[in-house]
Amino acid sequence: MKASIEWLKEYSDIDIEATKLGDILTMTGSKVETIDQLGNDIENVVVGKILEIEKHPDADKLVVTKVDVGTEKLQIVTGANNIKVEDMVPIAKDGAKLPNGVKIKTGMLRGIESQGMMCSIGELNLTLADYPNQIEHGIMILDKKLEKDLGKNIVEVLNLKEDIIDFEITSNRPDCLSIEGLGRETAVSLKQPFKNPRKNIDEMKVETKSELEGLKVDIEAPDLCYRYVARMVKNVKIAPSPDWMVRRLKACGVRSINNIVDITNYVMLEMGQPMHAFDINSIEGKHITVRRAKKDEKIITLDEQERELDENNLVIADEKKAVAIAGVMGGLNSEIEEDTKTVVFESAVFYGGSVRKTAKKVGLRTESSSRFEKGLSAENALRAANRAVELVALLGVGEVVEGKIDVYPTKQKTNQIPFDVPKINSLLGTNLSKQEMIDILEQLEIKVENDIAIAPYFRMDLEFVADIAEEIGRFYGYDKLDTTLIKADTTLGIRNKEQNIQKKVKEVLVNSGFSEIYTYGFVSEKDLEKSNIKEEIKKYAIVLQNPLSDEYKLMRPTTIPSMMQTLAINNNKKNKQVKLFDLSRSYKNEKQEVEQGEVPLQEEILTIGMYGEDVDFYSLKGILENILEAIHINHYDVEKEINNASYHPGRCANLKVGMDRIATIRRSTSRSIR
Amino acid sequence: MKEKIAKIKENSIKEINQCNDEKALNEIRVKYLGKKGELTAILRGMGSLTAEERPIIGGLVNEVRDELEAFIQKKEKEFKRKELETRLKTENIDVTEPSKKVTLGSLHPITQIIEEVEEIFLGMGYQIADGPEVEKAIYNFDKLNTPVDHPARDLQDTFYITDDIVLRSQTSPVQARVMEKQKPPIKIICPGTVYRSDSVDATHSPVFHQIEGLVVDKNIAMTDLKGTLEMFAKKCLGENTKIRFRPHHFPFTEPSAEADVSCFVCGGKGCRVCKGEGWIELLGCGMVHPNVLTYCGIDPEEYSGFAFGFGVERIAMAKFGIEDMRLLFENDVRFLKQF
Repeated sequence: MKASIEWLKEYSDIDIEATKLGDILTMTGSKVETIDQLGNDIENVVVGKILEIEKHPDADKLVVTKVDVGTEKLQIVTGANNIKVEDMVPIAKDGAKLPNGVKIKTGMLRGIESQGMMCSIGELNLTLADYPNQIEHGIMILDKKLEKDLGKNIVEVLNLKEDIIDFEITSNRPDCLSIEGLGRETAVSLKQPFKNPRKNIDEMKVETKSELEGLKVDIEAPDLCYRYVARMVKNVKIAPSPDWMVRRLKACGVRSINNIVDITNYVMLEMGQPMHAFDINSIEGKHITVRRAKKDEKIITLDEQERELDENNLVIADEKKAVAIAGVMGGLNSEIEEDTKTVVFESAVFYGGSVRKTAKKVGLRTESSSRFEKGLSAENALRAANRAVELVALLGVGEVVEGKIDVYPTKQKTNQIPFDVPKINSLLGTNLSKQEMIDILEQLEIKVENDIAIAPYFRMDLEFVADIAEEIGRFYGYDKLDTTLIKADTTLGIRNKEQNIQKKVKEVLVNSGFSEIYTYGFVSEKDLEKSNIKEEIKKYAIVLQNPLSDEYKLMRPTTIPSMMQTLAINNNKKNKQVKLFDLSRSYKNEKQEVEQGEVPLQEEILTIGMYGEDVDFYSLKGILENILEAIHINHYDVEKEINNASYHPGRCANLKVGMDRIATIRRSTSRSIR
Repeated sequence: MKEKIAKIKENSIKEINQCNDEKALNEIRVKYLGKKGELTAILRGMGSLTAEERPIIGGLVNEVRDELEAFIQKKEKEFKRKELETRLKTENIDVTEPSKKVTLGSLHPITQIIEEVEEIFLGMGYQIADGPEVEKAIYNFDKLNTPVDHPARDLQDTFYITDDIVLRSQTSPVQARVMEKQKPPIKIICPGTVYRSDSVDATHSPVFHQIEGLVVDKNIAMTDLKGTLEMFAKKCLGENTKIRFRPHHFPFTEPSAEADVSCFVCGGKGCRVCKGEGWIELLGCGMVHPNVLTYCGIDPEEYSGFAFGFGVERIAMAKFGIEDMRLLFENDVRFLKQF
């Protein structure tokens, strides 16, 4: 979530550098990914006024200008042809620095001195999206009103300085996917009061009506839609948004579209509640139903793609068709158009699990769905709707219809958590007083009454004492926690028999010149084929539902193909003497365990492979005998094995302890090596 | 007779003094002291002497014999010493030529890290535990407070065999299995292979390794977690290593933290490895979530615990300076033998 410090300042006083703020917020749990400091890379560029323009005596395409920069008059040579006398333009003076790293110095252009440069929007790192009235190639022509700012720093005049922090927000804190939430965290982290600029919204009383201008709303699936609030504006004038709004949207990475759509995005960024706006004329029968989609129901979304839905997906529908995929994206059929007159603002809350599944099914992960899937507060929905119409009024682009539609079948429950001071101290290892804890909680708007902590509506993540302990911990400061060692009975830290044997075996092998390898447990059918693995073993292979590729489709029922591949890789790399071992697992679905929801057989297998000069059957047999000696197995038999197709029939043997085959020694057939 | 003996002595001493090698010396020994030697012959011829003469002559012979014997031995030693000197002078080899040692193999870097971590925690009284890699979803998710609709269960992260059986995406199911079976106190670390649906590139692999730790007992506190991890970091990464906790979120712990360590390459000044920050993100950790304890049959009112976990490859790569994760699974023997 990106947030500009300028916007955060609405919620908390901030009188420190962006990097310092980032450090502080990282340590209270809002981890900073990156900080963009815009405008810092422009120096010594000022507002200038063109006084004269004359032809360059020796160059047809250049002109020589006189420019007033307040303190002095400069002579500037330029090739631009979109300027005229009296124009206000940005002037990079001698010694100026531009965002592209260029430094401007006084110099000679075809024999005439030029004491600076006029800048285009690109040279100031601005785009046509920010300044649609400018031209891309040519000098930026400033507003005539800026004459009062003659000679002033362009960064200040155009307000180009902007510090934007990108935060990593953990999945338990959807409230922080908003400037309001981050503003609250900022205030508490800086120990500043939280200036709630939306106090009027919180206190606003709006009458609930059963219909608004004939519009009705029904929730048919209350298990998937917890609340649906609609507010309406009439006589809307669709137009571009004001600069301040465009700018804030841009800082958060959202492109401006038009005032109504921008308001929905602005409210989402500000309050964390995704909104949807649609034209009332596109709602058949003026009746909205929130229902499950029908099997194979189709909708064309705003991005002009057709999406196919099923009964697990929730839609917003009129009497004939779906007009939006709930929480994911609106439909093209109800889009706000240039001539839209009456706009409905939808502020609804859906069940996160369903939105996540739907977004995945249709392959669309939007700003909206990624918020809903984390579980949003139904209490916030009304605030957001009220804020949207407030913004319409503020911008003067429409007439707010009195009243609201508010279908709210299941009220969000307030989380009440036992406020257990000793338990909190014992979890954290601290010795804080009750009052110290209460002080922290109150800043976070967590009320404590009769030893019960009451979570505010926007903190649905707070459920247990442990959650309260975390809140106290992170604002007391994790860095202030002591480092202690467990005070408990001594326990014995030893390897068990199997672990000891494994360690011993590895030791023997390393001392005998073998290098340990790590192989993937995946194999392909082809790999099994290549290693001549017997049908009866092949059929034990476990099949992945969602493999990365055919190559990684099966869990290997034997480790042999992995070793063979590794030997082949080494051979391809022209390694002459290669001795390898792999202590890893094979996975065998011998008794259909997987189908019965049980864990299949997973054995730890030692696989040894080698090639090179003086490597033969007997060198491998020798190694095995060394290993057995090291782990004190002294009685074993070696028997010839002729039925293993992976191996040379004349050079294969089994090693048996009693009736159990514990190892097979073999020489590969030349085909399987190839 | 006496003169004869004196003559023998005189001659033999002269010859000994003149002789130049061990062989000649031996001939002299045979000539005088051998079975048929001149001095021995005198002893043999003593039958012709009178009873009075016999002991005198016998004594004299033995005296001379001992004297000669000692002298020969001395001379012999001298020869041996000289011979050794010449031999050492001539026997000159190039000590820098390749040796004939038995070539050692190597433990894989992943094993090396795992074993190092195991030793540290064994020393602190932990046991090593492992469990199935093809695991029940209930252990991989549900018992770890990751219910059916949780994003971590997405197909894009986890390999599924059936809806109920997955390739474990973390080693945490081992913790759940141990908690179910064993009553506290529990102190375990669980190294193991885990699977996530990531395509292979320089920093990702669908198969990788984790080590997790779990302690459950009465009165286990977050400060214990911090102390344990600090001790671990110092032992594993150097005594000057510092540790820093940042609040974070995991479904199976609460409170949760991410632990950073001061960069073990630059010591915290800022370098390429720590991206100039001075800190390296080491692991995720926290106090075991009360739901997890409950789901595994442990009363969260009575017991508390902490857990931590980290990726082995990341540590191995940072510690050994390996830039591409793919090298760890390619198993080129020339690569493996570097560690």
